[in-house]
Amino acid sequence: MRARSLFLLIAALGLTATLAACGGSSKSSKGTTSSTSGGAAGGTFIAVAQAAPSGSPDPQIDYTLQEWQLLIFTHDGLVAFKRVGGTEGTKIVPDLATSVPEPTDGGKTYTFTIRKGIKFSNGNELKPSDVKYTFLRLFKIGQSPNAGSWYNVIVGGDACVKTPKTCNLDQGVIANDAKSTVTFHLTRGDPEFLDKLGVPFAFILPTGTPNTELQIPPAGTGPYKWAQYNTNKQVKLVRNPFFKVWSKDAQPPGNPDVILEKFGLSGEAQVTQVENGQADWMFDTPPADRLNEMSTKYSSQVFVNSLTADYYFAFNVRIPPFNNLKARQGVNFATDRSALVKIYGGPKLAVPTCQVLPPGFPGYKAYCPYTKNPGSGKWTAPDMVKAKQLIAASGTKGAVVKVNTDTTDVNKAFGEYFVSLLNKLGYKAQLQALSADIQYPYCQNSKNKVQFCYSSWYQDYPAASDFLNVLLGCASFVPNSNASPNISEFCNKPIQAQMDAALKQGITDPTGANTKWAAIDKAVTDQAPWVAMINPKYLNFVSKRVKGFQFSPQWYFLIDQASVK
Amino acid sequence: MATFIVRRVLWLVVVLFAVSVLVFLIFFATPGVDPARQMAGRNPTAETIKNIKHEFGLDRPLPVQYGLMMKHIFVSRDLISYGSHTKVIPEILSAAPVTLSLVFGAAVIWIVFSILTGLAAAVFRGTVIDPLLMILALIGISIPVFWLGEVVNLVTQSRLHGFFLFSWVPPLGYTPFTQDPLLWFEGLVFPWLTLSVLYIGFYARVLRANLIETENEDYVRTARAKGISERRVLLRHTLRTSMITFVSLFGLDFGVLVGGGALLTEVVFGLPGVGLLTYHSLTSLDLPVIMTTVIYGAFFITLASALVDLVYAWLDPRVRPA
Amino acid sequence: MAVFEPEAELATLDTEEFGGEVVGRSPWALAGRRLVRNKLAIAAVIVFVLIVAVSFAAPLYASHIAHTNPFESNLSGTFQQNGKTVQVIQQGAGKLGLGETPVGPTWHAKYLLGADNQGRDVSARVLYGGRASLEIGIGSAVLASLLAVVFGLIAGFFGGWTDAFLSRLMDLIWAFPVYLLAISLATVLLTAPNGLRIGFVHLSASSLWVPLTIIGVIYVPYVFRPIRGQVLSLREREFVEAAIAQGASNARLIFSEILPNVASTVVVLLPLMIATTILTESALSYLSIGVQPPNASWGTVIQDGQGLLYTRPWVAIAPGIMIVLTVLALNVLGDGLRDALDPRSKLRMKG
Repeated sequence: MRARSLFLLIAALGLTATLAACGGSSKSSKGTTSSTSGGAAGGTFIAVAQAAPSGSPDPQIDYTLQEWQLLIFTHDGLVAFKRVGGTEGTKIVPDLATSVPEPTDGGKTYTFTIRKGIKFSNGNELKPSDVKYTFLRLFKIGQSPNAGSWYNVIVGGDACVKTPKTCNLDQGVIANDAKSTVTFHLTRGDPEFLDKLGVPFAFILPTGTPNTELQIPPAGTGPYKWAQYNTNKQVKLVRNPFFKVWSKDAQPPGNPDVILEKFGLSGEAQVTQVENGQADWMFDTPPADRLNEMSTKYSSQVFVNSLTADYYFAFNVRIPPFNNLKARQGVNFATDRSALVKIYGGPKLAVPTCQVLPPGFPGYKAYCPYTKNPGSGKWTAPDMVKAKQLIAASGTKGAVVKVNTDTTDVNKAFGEYFVSLLNKLGYKAQLQALSADIQYPYCQNSKNKVQFCYSSWYQDYPAASDFLNVLLGCASFVPNSNASPNISEFCNKPIQAQMDAALKQGITDPTGANTKWAAIDKAVTDQAPWVAMINPKYLNFVSKRVKGFQFSPQWYFLIDQASVK
Repeated sequence: MATFIVRRVLWLVVVLFAVSVLVFLIFFATPGVDPARQMAGRNPTAETIKNIKHEFGLDRPLPVQYGLMMKHIFVSRDLISYGSHTKVIPEILSAAPVTLSLVFGAAVIWIVFSILTGLAAAVFRGTVIDPLLMILALIGISIPVFWLGEVVNLVTQSRLHGFFLFSWVPPLGYTPFTQDPLLWFEGLVFPWLTLSVLYIGFYARVLRANLIETENEDYVRTARAKGISERRVLLRHTLRTSMITFVSLFGLDFGVLVGGGALLTEVVFGLPGVGLLTYHSLTSLDLPVIMTTVIYGAFFITLASALVDLVYAWLDPRVRPA
Repeated sequence: MAVFEPEAELATLDTEEFGGEVVGRSPWALAGRRLVRNKLAIAAVIVFVLIVAVSFAAPLYASHIAHTNPFESNLSGTFQQNGKTVQVIQQGAGKLGLGETPVGPTWHAKYLLGADNQGRDVSARVLYGGRASLEIGIGSAVLASLLAVVFGLIAGFFGGWTDAFLSRLMDLIWAFPVYLLAISLATVLLTAPNGLRIGFVHLSASSLWVPLTIIGVIYVPYVFRPIRGQVLSLREREFVEAAIAQGASNARLIFSEILPNVASTVVVLLPLMIATTILTESALSYLSIGVQPPNASWGTVIQDGQGLLYTRPWVAIAPGIMIVLTVLALNVLGDGLRDALDPRSKLRMKG
C-alpha cells in the first residue's frame, strides 16, 4: 500500500494474523506501547489535521488511515484486530461474532455465530441479516475500491462487481436470524479472508442504510457514534448510549467522552496547538523546522515508531535514458542517501536503504551494492567515481530527464535533490511536481512517459510478495492504465519465474520461500529498477495531558485508548 | 433602466457560460487526468473504475457531461466533489462565511484608513506630510501580500509571541463567529490588517488625486466663493464628488475578493475560505469544485461591475444611461 | 449605446489621472527635463538599475565571492567558518535529535544569508532569483503592452463590431479571476508529458517562457482599456480628421498620427505594469505554479523559506525585501513619468 501522505489513501493493513516482525515499536522515548488501556475516562480529545480524509466518508468506500483510525471505534466487523499496541495488535480476535471460526470445506466456508444483545447507535438490535445487508451494500454501492479485488472471493461477488444493481449474494452469504448465524461461501480458499473482515469496508451497518454514498458514516455498534462530519470544519464523535462492552480485546470502551478532529490547520499551526495544549494530537507529520524544538522542549510528548515501508524513486526501464542498466546503476551509486535521510528529518526518523524489502521483513537480508566499500550490506557513502564511469559508459549523458514528484514539502525536496544530482551527472533534469492527489496515478500511466518518479509503499501484510511482486512483477504493469502499480514497468522474465516459484513454495514452506525471496530481492536490486532511498519511521506528537499512548501496527495511534483526563 | 438590467443579466449569462466552458476544456485538455481513477483508491480493478465512470457520468460525450454538470450545479444542486466525495455547494457555502468575514473586516479597515490618509494628504498638500503619506501608501502597494503575511506570522506567532502585545494571537486558522466571537475576532485581526494594507495605499492615492482634481471644479470654487467654510467645502462637496470613483473601485475590488481573490491571504493564514478551496481544487484537478468556485467567482466579479455601473449612474447624473 | 464603459476600472493601474485629455505632439524633451528634476524619480531609477545590475551579476557573485553553485544541492556538505568545519545542514539537538536545520546567516562571503533546506547559498539564490523575476516581469509587461496596443489600436480605430468583439473578449478575460486562470493554465502545462507545442514554439514546464506568457496574457485587458479609450478619442480629434480629409491611408493614420500619441500612455504604464507582473510572478511561484525548479525566482525562494520561517527566517525575508524595493522603485518611477508626461499637470501650470 502506498503513501501515508496527507492527501492520499493510506490504510495500514496488516493483512495476516501471524506476523513476523511487522511495524514493531522501537520506542524512542518513554511511553509504553503494549500497556492495555488505562487512564481516566471523560473529557474531550481534540485532534487537528490539515484536511479532512480524502475521498468519501462512507465506511464502505473510504480508504484512508485518517478515517479508519476513527471508524474502528464507531463500528465493528465480525472479527477485529486486537486493539492494543505492539505486535499483539495484528492478532485477529472475535468481535461481533462469538468466536473466530475455523474454515470448513477446504477453506471455502466460514460460519459465524453473532453475539446477542448488541445494539446500533440508532437503537436497533444487531441481527445476522444486517451482516448480509452490509455485504450486499458493499457491492451495490458500485464504487467500493476493493470490492472487486478483495471481496469478490465471496460466491456471487464477481457478478455483483459487474452489475451492482442486480447484485444478490444468495449463494455467498447466508444469514439465519433464528439461529444467529451467518455463513460465507467462497469461490476458493483465501488465507486472508478474516483480515478482510476486520477492516472498515466490512464493518456491519444496520439494514436499511441507503445503497448510495453517504455524507457521514451511518449508525454503528462501537462505543462512539458520528455526530458531525464537515470536511471544512471538523468531525465530531460522541458516546454511543447503546454501547455495552462485550469484548475488551476487540472493542474496549473508549476514554474520552467526545472526540473531535478539526480540519484546516497548517502543520505549523498544528504543532503550536499541541504544544500549547489547545489540541491533543496532530494527524499530519510535523513540519521539519519544528522538529528541533519538539525534541528539545517537548521530548516526552513525542513517540517514534518504525514502519515497514519504502520511499523510492522508480526509473522507467522502458524509455531512455534509464532503459540502460548502467545509467540506472550509475545514478544509484551517485545517490547520497544520507542527504535523503536529512531531508526526511534526520537519522532518528529514517534509515538509508538500497534494496526493495524493508528491514525486519520476511525474506529481508541486508544488501547494498550501491555504496562505497560494499559488502557489509549497509550503505555508507556515495561512490561518485564509479557512478561517473558507469554513466559515461552508458552513453546517456545529455539526455533530458523529468523528475516527477508531488508537491508536499519533503517529497518535493527529494525531487529537487535528484534534479541537482542528475544535472551533476551530466543529464538535463527538470522537476515536475504535481499535486499529491494526481501524482501517483499520473506516474502509473505509461502514456505519460514519466522517466523518474517518486513513490512510497507501506505494507499491506508482511509478505515479501507484497513488495516484490506487487511493485515489480510483470502482471503489475498494465500499459496505458492509471492503475499500474509497477511504475518502473520492470518485467524480467527469469526473475518473474523465480517469484512465481517462491509464491508457490510459500503455501507449503514459508521459510524456504523466504530464502528464495532474499535471492530475488538481491537480483532485483542488481537490476536497479529503483533508487531505493529510505525506510521511514512514524512520529506522533501529543499534548502533555495525553496518557496511555499506544501504537498499533494495524491502526497506528489508538486515539480512543488515550486518556485526556 | 430595464434594458440596462436585461443587458447586464444577459452579459452575466454569457460570461458564466464562456468561463465554465473554458474551464471545462482546460480540464479535459490536461493529460493524465482520469477522475474515475482518482476516486477509485489504491489498487482498483478495471470494473470498479468502470462503475465509477458510469456513476459519475464520465463515460458520456463531453457536451453531455458539461450539461450534466451544469444541471447538478444549478438545478439539482447536488454536484459531488471528485476529491472529498461531498456535495460541492454546501462546501462552498461553508467556505463563504470565512471569506466574507475576512473581506468585510478588511474592507472596513481599508475604507477608514484610506479616507483618513487621503484626506490628510490632500489637506496638508504642500507640507512634508503629503509626500510622506504618499510614499507610505506606495510602500503599501509594493509589498507582496503573502510575504507580508509570512512576516506577520513570524512576528506574532514566533519571535514576539511571548511579548504582551502579541501573546493573545491565536494559532493560525479560523474559528466561526457562532462558535466563539472573541476567538473569531482575534484570529482575524492580522489577516484583516495584512489584506487591507495594499488597499489602504491604493485608495488613499486615488482619493487624494480625486480630491485635488475636484478642488479645481467650478462648483467647488462657487461654494468657496459663497463663503462656505473650508471644512464644509471639503466634506460636503469635494469629498462627496471624489467618493464616486472611490465607491466604484470599492465595488469592483470587493467583488473580486469575495469571489476568491483573497486566495493568497487565505493561504498564508490558513483560512479555509473560497480562495483556499479554489486553490486546492485547482492543484488537485477536482473539476466539480473548480467549476463551481470559478462560476461563483466570475458571478461576483460580473455582478459587482454591473452594480458599480448602476451606482455610478445614480451618483453621477452626467453618465446616466440614455 | 445605453451602456457606458466603467472607466473607473482603469484606476487599478493608477491611470485614472490621465484620461482622454492628451495634447497633440508629446513634448518628450520637456517631459524628460521634468523627470530629471524629480529627485524621487531619479532615486527610483538608480535603485532599479542597481537591482537589475546586481541580479544580472549573480553568476559573478556565485563563482567569485560565494564560491558556490546555487543550483546544486549540498545537503551533506561542510564549509569553514572561523577556522572550524561546519555542517551546512545540522542535525537537531535535544534528547531525540530530530530534525535537520540548515546553517543560518554567517554574514561572511560564504552563506552570507545562510542555506536553504537543500544546503544552497540563499544570497546567491536571491540574486539568481532576481534575474528570473525581472526577466519574467519585464517580459510579460512588454508582451501585455504589445498585445494591448495592437488590440487597442484595432478596436479603437475601426470601432463597430471589431471594437465590440475585442472589448467583450477583454471583459471576458477580466471576469475570469486572474489567479484562477493562471493556476489552471500552469497546471495543464505542468502535466503535459512533453510540454506544449504551438506551431514552432515548444514550451516545456520548466521554461521561464511559461509564466511569462501566462502573466502577459492575463494582463492584456488592463492596458487595453486605457489605450482603446485614448484611440477612440484621438480619432475624433482635429488633426486626425484633417489627415483623413487629406486622404491618408489607414496604415499611415495609425502609425504616424495615433501611435505616437499612444506611446506616452504606454511609457507611463510600463513601469507600473512591470511592478504588477513582478508581484504576480512572485505570487504564482509562491503557490508553486510559476517558475519551476531548477530555476529560481524571488517567489520560489520565499516558498522555500516558508518551511524554514521560524528557524531560518532570512530565507523568506531577503527575497521579499528585494521584491518590495523593486516594485516600490517602479511605482515611484511610474508616478514620476506620469507627472512628467501628464498633460493635465501642464494645464495646472498654465492655470
